[in-house]
Amino acid sequence: MVTFLEILVYGAVQSSVYAMLAVGFSLIFGVAGVVNLAHTAFYMVGAYLIYTLFSLSGLNLIFSLVVSVVLTGIVGILVQHLCIRPLIKSEYSVMIITVALAMFFQEVLLSTFGPVDRNLTNFYDATYKLFGMVTIDAQRLLTLIVAIIIIICLWLFIKRTKFGRAIQAVAQDREGSVFMGINPNRVYLQVMFISACLAAIAGAFIAPTLGARPHMWEHPLVRVFICVVLGGLGSFEGTILAAIIIGFTEVVVAFSLSAYLGELVAVAIILFVLCVRPTGLMGRRAA
Amino acid sequence: MDVFLQAESLSKSFGGLHAVSELDFAVDQGEIVGTIGPNGAGKTTLFNLLTGFLQPTTGEATFKGESIIGKKPNQIVDLGISRTFQIVRPFSNMTVLENIMVPLQSPKNRRVNKNRMENQRRAAVLLEQVGLADKMLLLAADLSHGDLKRLEVARSLAATPDLLLLDEPFSGLATKEIAALSDLIKSLNDDGLTIIIIEHKLRELMKLVKRVITLNFGVKIADGTPEDIARNEAVIEAYLGKGGERFVTS
Amino acid sequence: MMNQLHGLEQSLPASPLHWKRFRAHFAIVILLLLLPVFVKSIYVIDLLIVCNVWAVFLSSWDLLTGYTGQISFGHSLFIGGGAYTAGFLSFYLHVPFWITIPLGGCVAAILGFGLGLPALRLKGPYLALATFAASAVLHGLSAVFWLYSGGEDGLYGVGPLTRNYFVKYYWSVALMVVCSGFLLFLVNSQYGLILKSIREDESGAEASGINVTKYKLLTFIMSGFLAGVAGAFYGHAQMHVGTDLLSLNLSIMVVLMSVAGGMGTIIGPIVAGYLLILLNEWLRVIEVVRVLIYSFSVVLILLFIPRGIVPTIISIAETLISKIKSPSRS
Repeated sequence: MVTFLEILVYGAVQSSVYAMLAVGFSLIFGVAGVVNLAHTAFYMVGAYLIYTLFSLSGLNLIFSLVVSVVLTGIVGILVQHLCIRPLIKSEYSVMIITVALAMFFQEVLLSTFGPVDRNLTNFYDATYKLFGMVTIDAQRLLTLIVAIIIIICLWLFIKRTKFGRAIQAVAQDREGSVFMGINPNRVYLQVMFISACLAAIAGAFIAPTLGARPHMWEHPLVRVFICVVLGGLGSFEGTILAAIIIGFTEVVVAFSLSAYLGELVAVAIILFVLCVRPTGLMGRRAA
Repeated sequence: MDVFLQAESLSKSFGGLHAVSELDFAVDQGEIVGTIGPNGAGKTTLFNLLTGFLQPTTGEATFKGESIIGKKPNQIVDLGISRTFQIVRPFSNMTVLENIMVPLQSPKNRRVNKNRMENQRRAAVLLEQVGLADKMLLLAADLSHGDLKRLEVARSLAATPDLLLLDEPFSGLATKEIAALSDLIKSLNDDGLTIIIIEHKLRELMKLVKRVITLNFGVKIADGTPEDIARNEAVIEAYLGKGGERFVTS
Repeated sequence: MMNQLHGLEQSLPASPLHWKRFRAHFAIVILLLLLPVFVKSIYVIDLLIVCNVWAVFLSSWDLLTGYTGQISFGHSLFIGGGAYTAGFLSFYLHVPFWITIPLGGCVAAILGFGLGLPALRLKGPYLALATFAASAVLHGLSAVFWLYSGGEDGLYGVGPLTRNYFVKYYWSVALMVVCSGFLLFLVNSQYGLILKSIREDESGAEASGINVTKYKLLTFIMSGFLAGVAGAFYGHAQMHVGTDLLSLNLSIMVVLMSVAGGMGTIIGPIVAGYLLILLNEWLRVIEVVRVLIYSFSVVLILLFIPRGIVPTIISIAETLISKIKSPSRS
């Protein structure tokens, strides 16, 4: 019973991180058709920023968080405007340049901080006993709660606000939205800002638990890509569902079989799915 | 005589849209047949069904006795059917000569010849036939629309077909170009090539073909000589609406 | 028919396989062969061995992606697959390298076929993801079976090719010349024409009678085989196979270097490989500058010379040459 609850809790934490990351990735793909392979590099930048500001320099937590997130968001805007926009006509070119940027960030961080795993200080040191039986530390719990809040807010934002509707309009029909007085390029920049901020938040919150390494962007990238394809490129709800599936499956396998097999699960699933259903589970867009 | 091309109850539906319905027709070897009909009548869909680009919802089609349903486009080319596309699709970043060399690499052609120089000569002859020989080394991306249309025809001929399907070969061409292409098509048919042509330019088409099949809303509404078709009520109605005979002077 | 050709015969292009076209290539090979006469530094020789191996990594990728348009972000599947095959055979069974290397290639070829089949139906981001995932599976398996594969550290003690660095160097030159030579031959032959047509317009190629499936699969197999052979060679040359050969980083470097050199040319990626690897080493003196120049240069190349280094240089050279030949024209 304890194990079951442990799986539930840890699976939820895992899923929440994937969900936060995947939603940002899905957003910029759904709206601008951009496969941003530098997305998890933003996650990494967010992690290193909070490390530098909070763990190393000891600045105020809230301040560090805000600066880390906003700064990463700005990096995202620069990337979108300078690197992605000129190449937007070719899907392949966008993938290649974003992966080149990811490598660039990796190399910069590698030479600045070295290859060593960096330990970050927790935001809040405490442990709790959930349901009276499962131990969980504050950082993980905080990550889970923040992720849930943010995803709900994002969902409301997209479905209920004027700006959110503009995003939906551009996603569905770029040319048509121009006639509605919407500037698609501005929307892309705004969406990229949100997407990068989401990645940075995920990175900042989970880094104290996982540590920070210059290669930390690789592992989540494949999984985030998997979540988005599994859920259907461009589908918000599908992506979240996929993140939950992947997150929980990984934790279940890791607990019951081995951690290494847990790593394999996600990739095995997606290879199987791609063989059988090339458009993912809930995809609206064909390949 | 062996049946050359035959379609039986050929149908293709996309959800509720019946692009082609219960099409029955046959084409004998050596014929030159026109296919006409208003936009959306199902003409290109028919070509797609006959060349493996679409699979029918129901129905059967055979070529020289062998079924062509369920086969992939390259397999159908191997059987001897070749086609052009309504909207030209050349290999843009390859030269005109290279564009023709590609179909010469099909299994059918390779059984006859694999030598590069030989293929180049064959390609050059084909280009000469369509009048593109002087543009041989240009990139396809640099050609005019008229030239691209001729390239399409040359490419389809390079596949060494027994049956050629031309999809609006005259569209976008000037009168002189149409005349030249028309002469070429005529001579190809005189040499024994069976040809089916989709066209909207009715006057030019009627001069060229001996038989016309008319489609409307996916259904065959007429099948006869050009003279018969011009007087056919159903055809006139399809193009000009009810009471349209008033507009037909001859 | 023959009289029709009278005027045309002269205009027909000569076969692209004519040896005269490859004078520059031969010169470079001769340079590589003579190099050890002038350079005695083991450090440089070792670096060039790496360059030669990478030339095969990159050109085999270019065959797959640059010529058939099937973009692969998982080349480490083949490289690592071949390397680990040779590694296992050599480390556990003491099989000599002249057997393990071809076998490594064969295993990688099978992996190529295995990946090629589902890849037929996938395009764009889906294909990219499938290739990511395939190499991640192999990477994951090496972790799961860490007892046999050596886990993160890999296997140290893979049989060497030879103890003599210079002999090893010549073996690597032979590898590069044979593999790249084969690829150049292939892409300039009529087979290459078929591949280009598939890249340009798959449906158009099918309408021309080309069995696109067969050629795509064949290309996956060939690309895999060559990358596997090179990977196996590398394992023996380093006497070590490690997870870096299965990593995403490796796959991405292959992509970036090839794109920087010029996709779809075979020569472009090879040249870029030599340039970038040597540049990377040369710049190690000034670490910060190295990072900025090396990794950012790819981004700049993608933005400003998207066709890649080699095609752009060739274009510039051709323009300059024609300007010199007829300066009156502008």
